[in-house]
Amino acid sequence: MATLAHPDEPRRPNIASADIQLPAVTSYEQVDDEILAILKPTKAWFGALLLALACLGLGAFSWIYQIHQGLGVAGYNPPVMWGVYIITFVFWVGIGHAGTLISAVLYLFRAGFRTTIYRAAEAMTVFAVMTAGLFPIIHIGRPWKFFWLIPYPNWRLIWPNFKSPLVWDVFAITTYLTISTTFLFVGLIPDIAVLRDRETNPIRRRILGVLSFGWRNTEREWRHFARAYLFLAAFSTPLVLSVHSVVSFDFAMGIVPGWHTTIFPPYFVAGAIFSGFAMVWTIIIPMRRWFGLRHYVTLNHLDASAKMVLFTSLAVGLAYLIEFFIAWYGGVQYEQDYFWNRVFGQWWWAAWIMLTCNMILPLSLFSQKLRRNPTWLWILSIFINIGMWFERFVIVVPSLSRDVEPWQWSSYVPTWVDYGLLIGSFGWFFMWFLLFIKQLPVMALAEIKEIIPPKMKHTHGHGGH
Amino acid sequence: MRGMLGVFAELDATVAAIEDLKKGKVGDLTVFSPTPRHELEHAVHPPMSGVRKFTLIGALSGVTFGFWVAIWGSNYWPLVVGGKAISTWLPYVVFGFEVMVMVGALSTVFGMFYLAGIPRLTMTVGYDPRFSYGSYGIFCECAPERQAEAEAILRRHGAVEVRGER
Repeated sequence: MATLAHPDEPRRPNIASADIQLPAVTSYEQVDDEILAILKPTKAWFGALLLALACLGLGAFSWIYQIHQGLGVAGYNPPVMWGVYIITFVFWVGIGHAGTLISAVLYLFRAGFRTTIYRAAEAMTVFAVMTAGLFPIIHIGRPWKFFWLIPYPNWRLIWPNFKSPLVWDVFAITTYLTISTTFLFVGLIPDIAVLRDRETNPIRRRILGVLSFGWRNTEREWRHFARAYLFLAAFSTPLVLSVHSVVSFDFAMGIVPGWHTTIFPPYFVAGAIFSGFAMVWTIIIPMRRWFGLRHYVTLNHLDASAKMVLFTSLAVGLAYLIEFFIAWYGGVQYEQDYFWNRVFGQWWWAAWIMLTCNMILPLSLFSQKLRRNPTWLWILSIFINIGMWFERFVIVVPSLSRDVEPWQWSSYVPTWVDYGLLIGSFGWFFMWFLLFIKQLPVMALAEIKEIIPPKMKHTHGHGGH
Repeated sequence: MRGMLGVFAELDATVAAIEDLKKGKVGDLTVFSPTPRHELEHAVHPPMSGVRKFTLIGALSGVTFGFWVAIWGSNYWPLVVGGKAISTWLPYVVFGFEVMVMVGALSTVFGMFYLAGIPRLTMTVGYDPRFSYGSYGIFCECAPERQAEAEAILRRHGAVEVRGER
C-alpha cells in the first residue's frame, strides 16, 4: 500500500502504486522486451495513421475554405454565435482531464490500476489540450490575430480584462498544457534512457541520449526524481479541478438562461473526468488487444476504471437532475421555459442523446460481468464520447438560441465546414497519438518494474517485495 | 574518476555488497538500478532530497507574480466600470493560483535536474546499459591501491561482472 509509510525508508515515495499484481509479468527484462516491441510499426498502424491523416486533411481543407470565404460558412446564426467550435473546444479540454487525473490524483490516492494505463492517458491529455487549443483560434475567424487572445498590456487599445473568465481561461489552459507536458516528459526520462541503451542506430541513439538528459539510473537520480514526481502530482491535483472549473466560468459568469448557475464547476469537472476515462478506454482497449498487452492492462484494471466511470456518470447525472430542480425551485420563468425547451421542445433530440449516453447506458456498469467485458466497455466508451459532445452542445446551443427576449429566438444548423473541422480535430488528435506510440513507450517501464518482485539471491534476504 | 564497477543480477546481493563496501570505507559509491528500490536507498542512506526547497520558492514566487501582474495590469491600464473596483482580489485568485502551479512545478523540475546532476554530457565512466534493463550496479570510486579490496567484496557478493573503470 502507501509506500510513504514504508517502515524501512519513510523519506521517499515510490513512483508506482504498489497494491497491484501482474502475475504474468515476472522479470524486468520481460517488461522492456514486451513493451518496446510495440514500437515496431505494423500495417494496421500505417492504416490507422493514414485514416487519421485523411481526417486531418478534411479538417485542414475546411479551415482553409473558412479562412478564404469568411466565418459565415460555419453556420453561425445570430444569436447563436458559439457553435461547434466552442463545443469541440470544451469537449477536448474535458478529454484532457483524465490523463492528469490518472497520473496525479490516482497516484496520490495510491490507486494501483493507474500504473499501466497512465502513460497513454498522459499522452492523450497533452494531445487533447493541443487539439482544444486550436478551436479558439479557429473560432475567431481571423487566426492570424490569435495573439490578441494573450492578455498582455499593449498599445492596440485592447487591454487585458483580468476580471473576464476568457482571460482566466487563457491562463488556466496554458498552465494545464505546460504542466501536463512537463509531467509526461519527466516521467518519460528514465524510459527514454532504456530506449537509448537498446538503440543500435547511432543517430537515434544520440537523439535519445539528449532527450534522456544522460539519465543513468543512479540511486541519487531516482531519489530526486521520486520526490519531484510527488510534488508535481500535488500541484497537478488541484490543477485538474481548477481548469475545467475555469472553463465552466466561461458560461456560468454569463447571464444567460441555462448558464448562470453555481453548479457548473463541479458539474464540468465530473463530466471531464467521465469523458476522459471514456477516451482512455477507446484507446487502451484496442491497444491491449492488438499489442498483446492483456497481462498488463488486466480485467482488474478495466473493472477498477469502470467503477470510476460509473461514479462520475452518477455525479454527472445528479448534476443534470439538480439543474432541472433548481430551474423549477428557483421560480424564474425564463429558466423553466429554457429547461422545458431543452428536453421536450426544440432541442429534445440532443438532450435525449446526452441523457441516454451519459446517464442511462453507464448504469450497465453496476453489473460486474459488463465491467469486465472489454468489448462492452469499448462500445460504451464510444457512446459516452458522443454523449459528452452532445452535453456541450446542449449547454451551448439551446441557451443561446432561446435567450431572454423571444424576438431573437433562433436555431442553429452546423454546416459541412463545422463537421469537417470536428472530424479534422479527431484526425489531429489521433495522428499525434499514433506517432507517439511508435516512438516512445506507451507504458511506464520503470513504474511497472517497481511493482514486480525483484530477483533475489536468497528467498528470505534483504528487502523483498 | 576511477574505480571498480560491479554488475549484479539480484537485489539482495547488491544490498549486501553496498553494506560491506560502506563498512570497509573502500570509496565513494554510486548505485544503479533499473527502477527505484527502497532497499537500495536504505543501504546507501543518503540525505533527504532537497527538491522541496525549489518547490516552495517557486510556488511562493509564482503566487506573488500572479497576483502582482493582474493588479499591476489593472491599475496601469484601467478599465473603469462605475461602482466597481479597478483591481480586486477575488477574481485574481485564479491568476495567483495558476501562476503558482506553473512556476512551482517548473522550479520543482529544475530542482530535480540540478540536484540529480542532469543533464550529463558524458556517461561512459561507471555505467553499463544493463542498468536500465534488469541488472543492478555499484561503482566504487577509490584509489588504485584499494581497487583489489573493492573487487574482492563485489565478487564475494556474487557480481556477475567486475571491471575497472577510469
